[in-house]
Amino acid sequence: MKQAGNKNTVFSLKSRLKRFKRDNNRWSALTLAIVVFLALPILFIGVELFAGPGETWSHIVEYLLPDYIWNSFFLIVFCSLLVLVFGVSSAWLVSRFDFPMRKALEWLLILPLAIPSYIVGYAYAGIFDYGGSLALLMEAVNLDFVRIDIMNRAGLAFVLSISLFPYVYVSARAFFLNQANNLLEASNMLGVGERKTFFKLMLPLARPAIVAGLVLVLMEVLNDYGAAKYYGVNTFTTGIFRSWFSLEEPETAVYLSALLIVIIFSLILIEKWQVRKVKFSSAKTNNQQIQRKVPKKSQKWLIFAVVFIPVLLGFVLPILQLIYWAFLTASKVFNMDFLWVSLQSFGISIVSALITVFFALLLIYFSKWSALRLIKNVARVGVLGYAIPGAVIAIGIMIPTLALDKWLIKVLGNMGIETGLIINGTLIALFYAYAVRFLAVAYNPIESTALKVDNSIPDSSKVLGVGNLKTFFKIEFPLIKTGIFSAVILVFIDVMKELPLTLILKPYHIDTLAVRAYEYASDEMVMEAAIPSLFIIFTAMIPVIFLNKLLIKK
Amino acid sequence: MLKIDSLSKSYDKGKNYALQDVSFELKSGDVCAIVGESGSGKTTLVRLIAGLERPDEGSISLSGKVLSSVDQFTQPEKRKIGLVFQEYALFPHLTVLENILYGIAKQKDKKERAQEMLDLVGLSEMGGRYPHQLSGGQQQRVALARALAPNPSLLILDEPFSNLDTMLRTQLRSQVFEIIEKTGVTVLFVTHDTQDALSVADEILILQNGKVVQKDAASNLYVKPNNLYVASLFGNTVRINKDLQNAFHCPLNEECCHAIRNEKIKVNPDELTTDCDYITTAEVIKKIALGDAVQLVLKLETGEKLTVTTRDKNIADTINIGFNSKDILEFNE
Repeated sequence: MKQAGNKNTVFSLKSRLKRFKRDNNRWSALTLAIVVFLALPILFIGVELFAGPGETWSHIVEYLLPDYIWNSFFLIVFCSLLVLVFGVSSAWLVSRFDFPMRKALEWLLILPLAIPSYIVGYAYAGIFDYGGSLALLMEAVNLDFVRIDIMNRAGLAFVLSISLFPYVYVSARAFFLNQANNLLEASNMLGVGERKTFFKLMLPLARPAIVAGLVLVLMEVLNDYGAAKYYGVNTFTTGIFRSWFSLEEPETAVYLSALLIVIIFSLILIEKWQVRKVKFSSAKTNNQQIQRKVPKKSQKWLIFAVVFIPVLLGFVLPILQLIYWAFLTASKVFNMDFLWVSLQSFGISIVSALITVFFALLLIYFSKWSALRLIKNVARVGVLGYAIPGAVIAIGIMIPTLALDKWLIKVLGNMGIETGLIINGTLIALFYAYAVRFLAVAYNPIESTALKVDNSIPDSSKVLGVGNLKTFFKIEFPLIKTGIFSAVILVFIDVMKELPLTLILKPYHIDTLAVRAYEYASDEMVMEAAIPSLFIIFTAMIPVIFLNKLLIKK
Repeated sequence: MLKIDSLSKSYDKGKNYALQDVSFELKSGDVCAIVGESGSGKTTLVRLIAGLERPDEGSISLSGKVLSSVDQFTQPEKRKIGLVFQEYALFPHLTVLENILYGIAKQKDKKERAQEMLDLVGLSEMGGRYPHQLSGGQQQRVALARALAPNPSLLILDEPFSNLDTMLRTQLRSQVFEIIEKTGVTVLFVTHDTQDALSVADEILILQNGKVVQKDAASNLYVKPNNLYVASLFGNTVRINKDLQNAFHCPLNEECCHAIRNEKIKVNPDELTTDCDYITTAEVIKKIALGDAVQLVLKLETGEKLTVTTRDKNIADTINIGFNSKDILEFNE
């Protein structure tokens, strides 16, 4: 009898090649093309490294790099600590106890995410400044004003933490609410006290969820440009801006970008490593939610206070400060030009959201239609842009598009056609950059709704004689509409808030609300930044509430 | 008409095979059942034939045309195979009529054809409803109508009755196969239930761990199973090992294997004298009432335990049991 299914012959190179030829369809090639397209900016950073550093590199290494590294290290450590304290404590308290206004606080704790960090930075600068809100308040009650200087590293760490802690809050709360109930009951039955249960049982179990949130926070910390610039703290991002705009040395910007990428991937690796070590977490979701305890009256208000502090610091105070400024500057800022900028901001955000969602759909479905298993893993690489700071992506796009434009101008010039820059400094480059940076924001909600559609549904369509594309439009699209809609909204907000990438790549004559706020603040007119900031915040708030509803449903 | 030739599929590069060296053929108009436990490779086989998976080795051809092989592959939408999924997989956002029209959108007389299908499955008035407004049995019939509408040359039913309770199941089974008989289509019917298979199939193919262990007419499978696994699918069967041979004083050839169905072991004294070649005494250690019958757990002289069922009410503590040599099943393995 023929030894069929023999590993040696069936999985020999020859028959593998045969099957590869059979299974290699156009979807595989298209998936690969999209992934390469999305990874190009990062690949260019790698390629440009070989061009060698710029003239000032040795100067930077000697005088500035230690500062960048030390500041980044300081920010990583202190933001982690603060974010963990704010995020985990509030998540645990709202999941475990019932206290006054708990339900309202549960979603208020997410709202700081609606305010970009640099705007929180501007607001706090105004609160603590000479003649600022705090000074006025103390004067009013006849107290001596002692100025606390926050325009430094520590102040920046505080500002970033108070605006980013909701990432940790959201993922920790999701764990506590949905997965902790059985264990919690078991621990209580065994007579273990509340405090010990939290520190010995809940905290170690929630660690993967908490660290996942923390890594998102640190990516945002390293991505920040606006707040660091305003607070005068030298970080990698401000260094990239300085070498690009002031020193006009792209080579140096590339080297700093590469270093920053290394730092970020180390953080991601640490996360993966620590999650792998925690194999004991049960993957099964527990449908039963935690039974909340009703604490004693005195404790009730203490818990309320502890949960309210991050909301107060991260949302209420900055918003009050901005509203106060908005009243002072309304007549000056609110004019036709401002409306025009708002319109541009909306337009750019909606178009880039649609483009980004389009690419996410292509990536998800092309890789699904590819018959090669390898391609399905490759598709995930296209999502990595979210980890890369906006400034780095901008540099990775700026350099090759400049070179491409120079070449195009020369070629077209030879043909007698006079043109200016075609890609660089136009909206094309900007939209491309947003797609690279925010692809994951679109990819994840679409993928999770797509996973809810059982495979047998599209399979039935194919067996009934309908091809992939038509199946998508007739069957899959109507079933994943909500996922696509939330993806558009989420990317829309992220683009509205985005600053560093926009600053580098935006066309000269185009402005967004974020850029307008930044420019006011840089020009010593921080009060005037309040109105564009509030516009961004209110646009972002509606979907943050909507997103929270989705999270609670999950 | 359908020809499967040494088909193999592994999901982990050859460490384990979901399907290994499977070969068989179907003639036009056949109704063939594929029976096996879960994990035996039934679903993989179906998905390979429908073109939803690609084989690592071997080939699938339909009406002389190769659909899948190591270097050829026809897309599922080009195969003209009808498939009814276990979970029906009706398109939830389309009405019953739209579901049926889906696969015949390009045909000229699609409206008439769809209505004809609705009539065939007895849902003439239900065309405007949405799938979630139908009962499980009705959904099943819509799925059947949808699969039959494009007039497929082969119809595959993947565990079509496993979502239904026993009462509904028997009723629906006969309904479904009445409909199928009217169309005369060739059918491949996947199930883990031998009752389903025996009641409708001309031929049954048994899968075990991804391999075909037997393909035979339904009646033959009961009388001449290829191994103990196949025999056990049709009722409890015990291997006649050395101990059992000693207990019954029946020396059998050691080279091959023998087994006896528990239901063929006789307890009734009349039958023992007239109908049994091999007899032994056994101690009754447990009696379990099963309504009109009693299940006995017996212990033989050699210590072996056996379970038999009898309708006799008066059972002593020690009884005689026996079987006829013509009921002995003989296997090659």
